[in-house]
Amino acid sequence: MAGHNESGKKKSSEAANDLQTFSAENLQNNMKVIYYSQTFLSIVGGVIAGILGFKGLAGFILYFLIMAISSVGLIAKAKFSVHSYFDCWNRIIFDGFFGGLMSFVLFWTFAYDIVHIF
Amino acid sequence: MAEDLVLDTAIRDWVLIPLSVVMVLIGVLRYFVSKLMRSYQVPDAKIVKEGQVIVRARNLRSGANFIPPKAFRARRVYFSNEENGLLFVPKGQAQNAQAQMFSDPNMAMDMMKKNLSMIIPQTLTFAWVNFFFSGFVAAKIPFPLTQRFRSMLQNGIDLSTVDVSYVSSRSWYFLNLFGLRGLFSLILGEENAMDDTQRMMQMSGFGFDPTKSLSAEKDSLDIIQHEWALPKFEQRAEAVLRKLVS
Repeated sequence: MAGHNESGKKKSSEAANDLQTFSAENLQNNMKVIYYSQTFLSIVGGVIAGILGFKGLAGFILYFLIMAISSVGLIAKAKFSVHSYFDCWNRIIFDGFFGGLMSFVLFWTFAYDIVHIF
Repeated sequence: MAEDLVLDTAIRDWVLIPLSVVMVLIGVLRYFVSKLMRSYQVPDAKIVKEGQVIVRARNLRSGANFIPPKAFRARRVYFSNEENGLLFVPKGQAQNAQAQMFSDPNMAMDMMKKNLSMIIPQTLTFAWVNFFFSGFVAAKIPFPLTQRFRSMLQNGIDLSTVDVSYVSSRSWYFLNLFGLRGLFSLILGEENAMDDTQRMMQMSGFGFDPTKSLSAEKDSLDIIQHEWALPKFEQRAEAVLRKLVS
């Protein structure tokens, strides 16, 4: 699911940092990969939270934990040189955060209801 | 928190799960139906040409620093001089293009089809949910909310004593409607998500004037500051080589 292949590698500009030497298409592809993996993880995390029966704050804490782990995983996948794949850190950390939250809440509720309240 | 309600397991088996499954399936169905109904129209040669010119000018703008000043100036003149530059639009043509856009019935038809494929399934599902499942509690969200969310989550139940975290079936439908977007983008590929944004663009682009974007591109090409990157690249190469050596 959501293969972590950052296919297009952009030239990093270390000495001349003011020069924009990345290709927009590859950047978009990388963003898409991040969006997919985070959406997938938020759905899986929602199901896990629901089955374990987390309530209230605990579930959101689980969500933040999962997102943090996925961010770290993506950064590790980029071999800790984020700037050769993305133009700024926020791309990895904050992108797809709130779209994922909605899916997370839905699947959390769904699994929780099926397992626990009836 | 008020005392817990006891919900019948039949509600789970016959409301909660079927409702969610039906929402997912209808989303998939809608995707394929809209894919079938999409008509391919031959694009107008003039519009395609203008779009390509804009893309070329944009490429020049983004790659401006990689070519010598003389070459850049020559290209800029080619695009934006006042007599026969590619981006220069004579005064009278603007109105013409817009009128042509409006008189093309194919485009309006296409947009209507897209909108219909969006609206009809939603109305039908909503009517279905309303008819069969109206008026009872179907789910419970696992976190507390304030009273303000009552109208959002307990749509269709007129009881003020029920805890707010209980969700009526109609509101569960709405939750599904918004929350399944992520799932759809996973199972249907990006095209589904793209479709929405494209529709938005088409909506706002109705009666949109291609000559306007031409002249906007011309302006931004005119004001760009050219700074050749090659002299700096020696320093960069030096830095890279130093890193390699050390």
